[in-house]
Parts: sequence; structure tokens; C-alpha cells
Amino acid sequence: MNNYPAILIIAPLLGAFFAGLAAWIQERLSYPLALISLALSTFASVNVLMEVIANGTVHYRMAGWAPPMGIEYRIDLLNAMVLVLVSSIAFLNLLASYQNVEQETHDRAASFYVAYLLFVVGLLGVVATGDLFNLYVLIEITSLTSYTLVALGDRDRAPLASLNYLFIGVIGASFYLLGVGYIYIITGSLNMVDVAGILPNLPGSSTVLVGFILCLLGVWIKMALFPLHVWLPNGYTYAPTAFSRVVAPLMTKVMVYVMIRLMITVFGLEYIFVTLHLSEAVVWLGTIAIVFGGIMALAQKNLKKMLSYIIVCEIGYMVGGAWLGNELGMTGAILHIVNDALMTFALFLALGNIVYKIKDVDYSNLSGLFGKMPWTMAGFVLAAFSIIGVPPTCGFFSKWYLILGAFEAGAYHFAAALLISSLICAVLFFKVFEICFFAPEGNGLSHDNSHGHGDPVIVMDEAPVASLVTLGIVSLALILVGVYSGTIVNTIILPFLR
Amino acid sequence: MKLLGFIIVCLTGTFLLYGTSDLPDWGDPNSPASLHLSNHYIEKAVAETEVPNLVTAVLADYRGFDTMFETAVVFTAGLACFLLLRDFKPKEDRYYRHVPTGVVLHFKDKARQLRVGTEFEAVDKDWVPSDMVIKTVCRILIPFIQIYALYVVAHGDFSPGGGFQGGVIFGSSFILLAISYNLKTLMKRVSEKFLGIFSAVGVLIYVGIGAIAMVMGGNFLDYSTLAPLLPVNPGHIRALGMLGVEIGVGIAVMAVMAIIYINIVSQGRHDEGL
Repeated sequence: MNNYPAILIIAPLLGAFFAGLAAWIQERLSYPLALISLALSTFASVNVLMEVIANGTVHYRMAGWAPPMGIEYRIDLLNAMVLVLVSSIAFLNLLASYQNVEQETHDRAASFYVAYLLFVVGLLGVVATGDLFNLYVLIEITSLTSYTLVALGDRDRAPLASLNYLFIGVIGASFYLLGVGYIYIITGSLNMVDVAGILPNLPGSSTVLVGFILCLLGVWIKMALFPLHVWLPNGYTYAPTAFSRVVAPLMTKVMVYVMIRLMITVFGLEYIFVTLHLSEAVVWLGTIAIVFGGIMALAQKNLKKMLSYIIVCEIGYMVGGAWLGNELGMTGAILHIVNDALMTFALFLALGNIVYKIKDVDYSNLSGLFGKMPWTMAGFVLAAFSIIGVPPTCGFFSKWYLILGAFEAGAYHFAAALLISSLICAVLFFKVFEICFFAPEGNGLSHDNSHGHGDPVIVMDEAPVASLVTLGIVSLALILVGVYSGTIVNTIILPFLR
Repeated sequence: MKLLGFIIVCLTGTFLLYGTSDLPDWGDPNSPASLHLSNHYIEKAVAETEVPNLVTAVLADYRGFDTMFETAVVFTAGLACFLLLRDFKPKEDRYYRHVPTGVVLHFKDKARQLRVGTEFEAVDKDWVPSDMVIKTVCRILIPFIQIYALYVVAHGDFSPGGGFQGGVIFGSSFILLAISYNLKTLMKRVSEKFLGIFSAVGVLIYVGIGAIAMVMGGNFLDYSTLAPLLPVNPGHIRALGMLGVEIGVGIAVMAVMAIIYINIVSQGRHDEGL
């Protein structure tokens, strides 16, 4: 019996409780326990992906009960890919962030790791499950841990940011739950495939429509689609580094996955695009999100907040792409889940390294960074190029699919927004590079160093080795995923869509 | 802004009502919810699990995986309270009460401390002696509350009840102790370490039973594979598995109730709050 689908989520869950118990005996034990459990989880999810590619969809019955009665893990190509993404990013981030946790939350590091593991368990469970209600329970776990961990950040502003996040997040989760309630009462089932089998027998049902829209709204709130994004920028800016590094790349992307899963597996593309005609309105919403996210990012004076607004902008790409209603757009959206997770992870890794050395990342403090942290900045530049969409990096390829999809669907406004946002990102990042590279070392420091002749001496002061190595691995992944994106599309995304 | 909010609320309400226009009638025996899965549970659950209470069978077996994560949610709530509220800073002022005379000493110097023992006990500024009537009544009540809690946990698979309810009742007996005496009395009996460990152990029992089932060659949480481990009738093993799981839930909920209460009333300082 192949138990990998269960192990990939049970390993971090057990790890969380053992790490919690270990903390009462010897606090240092928590970190290695957390690391081991995430390594196991990554191993299991890679195995699941191999198996899915080789033998097709994996079904795993929890407690051994057949699907509509019990809960089933149904892992197809899309899940398996996102599972590998989630578990590996969570593992790499934990590897990289030991020093950051020690620096920021020293007195409660062990509890931090426990909450971190539970957060990852939630994300993995959301992705792996084939049951609508089980999905809700796991959204609850991710949300609860992320409210907690966000509040642990900046002493003054994080609690308020977290409270805002909590209010809006709870509304989002309730919308989703209410939607599931409507669907249950009309179909009598919670299993996704089972529900998908029953829904076509209920044409024109207002209950199904309301259920669908409620689920969708809930997921949109959770993924911070404009104008439901207000919780995100502050939440991610003031969260502790080790957590913002994992929540920024994963949380929103996992919710995009949930949306695509609801669209394709539960309600069916025909219902959405043919019966409801929602495509155009939502693509417009995506377009507005892209433009608005870009403009708001331009207005920021703080590197962390700027990157948070770029996430809002990127969500517009994926939502718009998924709702274009053609294969190219959907391919682009799914590929962009992977690419954007990697790019955002690389950006936030670099950002975390910078925060580790200079606490405050206002633009005015960034001068001289290329000399001070050359390796970190190299990774940052590569990730920035990927966000802008420069060819060998992965960001280019998903954008290419999205633009092709937009042209095929005749959504020229969406294509234009994609191009404009590339331009905005270029402006944004080159502004940062300019400050980091050319601006003189500020605040009188330069005057002390430069008596008489030439430039001030900039001492190299890099972040911890573990963080740099991780950043190196992710940067490599950015290029590799870019180069092999054709393979990913042909072996995973297209077989899934057809 | 208020008007805008009002309009949005009205629109949402109309939308929700629109959704109900297509709902099956209240209590309709032919509604999908009572035809599709319910029949299977009602007809087969007792035969398949040997648990007389159908609700428990659905909760702890058919959908046991959900319940496991619900327990994890409870644990997370306790963890969140600990993580955000717990204040490790040493207290500024210290107060000690001389037990035989009731005289309270106030130390403003942080460095100086008294040995707390039979002669002196540490008290807090806001400390008020409790009323004897309240103390006596609660002292008599608490053991009965706790026994009742154990009964609710143990009886979960026969009648309404189970781990969540039993755990809450047990936890409330701790809270009653803290209210009627004071927080220190409670913390003397159940320390922070005890609660922290038991909240994790409770969930660990649940996940552990599932994991053992996996080691024994079944799927995760498949209690039927536990049969070789226990000297019981193999048909009854699912009911026993559920009982074990309910006990885990009960322990976790009990500990988390106390953790949440202690951290919130004392704002994480673990001295006299309310």
C-alpha cells in the first residue's frame, strides 16, 4: 500500500507536535525536528508527483472509506505539482531562516516553528484534498496560524495589520463555508468529483449559482484579488521575515490553485463560461488588479511594501489568465502559479537577507547594497528580471502564454495590462537598483569614510551562508524552470487540461 | 460610508435569499441532503463500525480526518494565545504575604526576592481574598464537574457527547477554580508546562492512532487494522479506535481551554488578572 499521499501531510503535522513537546525539554531540538519533518514531506510529495506522472491520478482513502462516504485525497497532475512546490519552498525557507528567527523572535522560537509547521500542513492539505469541507478545515488552520504569525512581527504595527487580516480573512472563510453549505444542501455531497457529477442534473438552479459565487468570493478574499486585497500589503510587510518569506510566495498561489480546482473539477468550465458568461467581467477585474497593483507599487517608499503590492499585481495575472476561457490562458495561469511562487520566494529571500542586516528597508536606507551584499543582490536582480519577464528566466514564459491567450480570446485590454505591468515592474526595480548601486552611502557615514579622496569604502557584510545557498538554489530554479517550461507544459499542464 | 455599507448588506441579503428560492423544503425527506449520503450512514454505519451513535461514527470515523484537523485548530488557538500574549518579562514590583498574619510586604527593588514557602507566599497587587461561601461551594462542585466531564468523554460513542464537549467541561472546572480561588491556586495544580505538554499530547494521540494504523498496513486512520494489537473482538475495533481518538480530543481541548483562559485573563503575565 502506497502511503505517500498521507505521509506528505502527516509528517509535518507530527513534526509540529513533537517539536512542541521537545520545546519543553530542550528548546534547541525544535528546529531540527521541524526541518526533518518538512524534508520528509518534500520527499513524499516528489514521490507522489513521480507516481502521478507515471500512472495517472492517485486516490487515497482516508480511514479506508470509499469516496462519497469518507474523505478522499485525489491527487492529479495539478495537485501533485503544487504539492511539490509548497513542500519544497516551505523546507528551503526553514533552512534559510534559522538566523532570522533567532534575530526576530528569539524568546519564542520553538512555538514559532510549531505554528510554521501547522501553517504548512494547512497549505498542503488544501492542495491535496478532494473534499470541499476538508478544504475549509485546512483553510482554517492556515488562516489561524498566519494571523498569529503576522501579529508576531513588528511590535507596533503588526498586531493591527493582523487584526485587519483576521477580520477580512474570517469573512472570506465564512463565505466559502456558506457556499459549501448551499452546495451540500442541493447535492447532498461534499466530495468534489461526486458534486461535479450531480451539478449538471440541476440546470438553472439558483442555489448552485449562489453557492458558486459565495465560494468564489471567499477564495478571492483569501487570495487578495483587487478590490479585496486591503489586508495583504500591511500584513506581509509587518510579518516576521521568516514567515513573510513563506506566506508571500505560497498563500495567494495556493488560493489561486483552489480557484482553478473549483472551476475545472467542481463546477466545470462549461457551467462557468457557457452558462454564466462570467469570463469578460472577471478578466476586467484581473486587468484592473494588475494596473492598480502596479500603480500602488510605484507609490511605495519601502521595499517590503513595494514587493507586497507586486503580489497584488501578480494575482491579477493568474485570475485574468484562468478566466480567459481558453487553453492558452489556463496554461499560462497554472504555469504562473509555479513561476510566481518561485520568483516571489527569491525576492523575499533576498529581502529577508537585507532586512537581516539593515532593519529598515525604506528606499533611503538601501544605498551601497551592491557593494555590501553582492550575492544577495545578484539573486535579487535575477528574481526582479523574472518578474519583469526577461527571456531566460521563468517569468517570461508564463507571461507569454497569458498574452497569447489574451489575444486568442480577444481580450486586448488584458494583454495591454500585462505589457504595462512589465513596464511598471521594470521602472520599479531599476529605481531600486539605482539607489542600491549609485546613490551615495547616506547619513554622514560617507563623510567619515571619505576623507580627502574618492569613494567611501564599502565593507562587504553578507547574510548567513544558509540563506545565501538557498537563494542560489532558488535562483538556479528560476532559470531551470524557465528553460524547461516547455517540458512542464507538455508533461503536466496540457495532459491535465485535456 | 455607512449608507454604502447598508446598501451592500441589503444586496448580500437579497442575494442569499435568492439562493434559498431553490432550496428543498424544511425537513423534506426527499431533499438531496437526506437521500444521497445519509441513507448509507443510517443503514450501514452500525454494522460497519459497531458504534451505536451514528453521529459519532460520521464524526470520528467516516469523516475522522476532518475531526483530526478540527482538533489541530483547537491546538492552534491555544498556541496562538501563548505565542502572542505570553509575557516573559520579570515583574517590576513583587508582593509577598506573610501567611500567619496576613501582612503584605511590597518589594520595589527587582534584585531582592523572598523565598516563597510555608511562611511567605507570593501575591499580586490586585489580589483580593475570595469569599468563603464561593470557595466552599466551588470546592465541592469541581470534582463532580470533572467526573461528569470524564463521563461525557467516555460515553461519546453511545450517546451525544464526546471529546470536544467533555474537554470543554473539564477545562471549565479549571476556570472555576481560578475564579473562585485565584490564578495562583490553579497554576500550582496545573503548571504551564503540564498544559503545554498535554495540549500537544492530546492531538498526538489522535494523529498517533492514525499513524499506527498506517504502520499496521492500512490507510491513515483506518482503525480496523489495529485489531491485532488489542485483545478484542475485531468487529468492535473501530468503536475502540473512536474512543481512543475521543480521549485524545478531550485532553487537547481541556488543556487548550485552560491555556487560553490563563493567558487572556492575566495578559500573559500569569499573575492575578481577573
